[in-house]
Amino acid sequence: MPKDDLATKVKLAIYEMTAETGRVPNSSEISRRIDIEENEVLTVFGRLHAKRLLLPEPGDPRRIRMAPPFSGVPTAFPVEANGKQYYANCVWDAYGIAAALHCDAISRASDGHTGEPLTLEVKAGAPVLKPYVAHFAVPAGHWWDDLIFT
Amino acid sequence: MLLFRSEETVNQWCAAHNIPRRPLVDLEQLWQLAVHWYANRLTVESRRPTSDEMVSIFNSLGLTGPFWDPKSDEWR
Repeated sequence: MPKDDLATKVKLAIYEMTAETGRVPNSSEISRRIDIEENEVLTVFGRLHAKRLLLPEPGDPRRIRMAPPFSGVPTAFPVEANGKQYYANCVWDAYGIAAALHCDAISRASDGHTGEPLTLEVKAGAPVLKPYVAHFAVPAGHWWDDLIFT
Repeated sequence: MLLFRSEETVNQWCAAHNIPRRPLVDLEQLWQLAVHWYANRLTVESRRPTSDEMVSIFNSLGLTGPFWDPKSDEWR
């Protein structure tokens, strides 16, 4: 299978499995899903990382920390959509999950300083606007220097 | 990228963490960014925008200047 075809197959499997379950799969689960060797999946993880489409878990390349907009670990940005709970990597990605799944969604987030509960909601393809703001602490050229901090 | 109730709590957070205050994005802009980045993420065609495409998207939303340019050296 050509490299690009395999990368596309793995990428689609990651997103389909995440959308179906609310949980980002690991390399073993993807291997079984699309019937290829786990080491091939790991090789593709590396290629997707190089293309800035995926971040493996630091110290454990079999797991995915981020398949943007989805997070492989619980975060402060849970998103309820399609009767499932997902986790977003940041406030941008909280909206990103609704955009990726093309459905209504609600994220029970909080103020980054005070911890006050703040809800983000998407209904019928549009955000329910509130006077909240997102702060981008890192310039665009450095987002992937330390994506977990970003 | 964190969410805040207001500019006031952004300023408090920056002061508490000794982090420079950087640009703010409102929820409409944020939603448009999400759509540009992720609307086709579950499809075969999905890919991350190129650097030039990113600048174009940011500019279309009023997000201009070197902060929003992935190729800018100003912040290095």
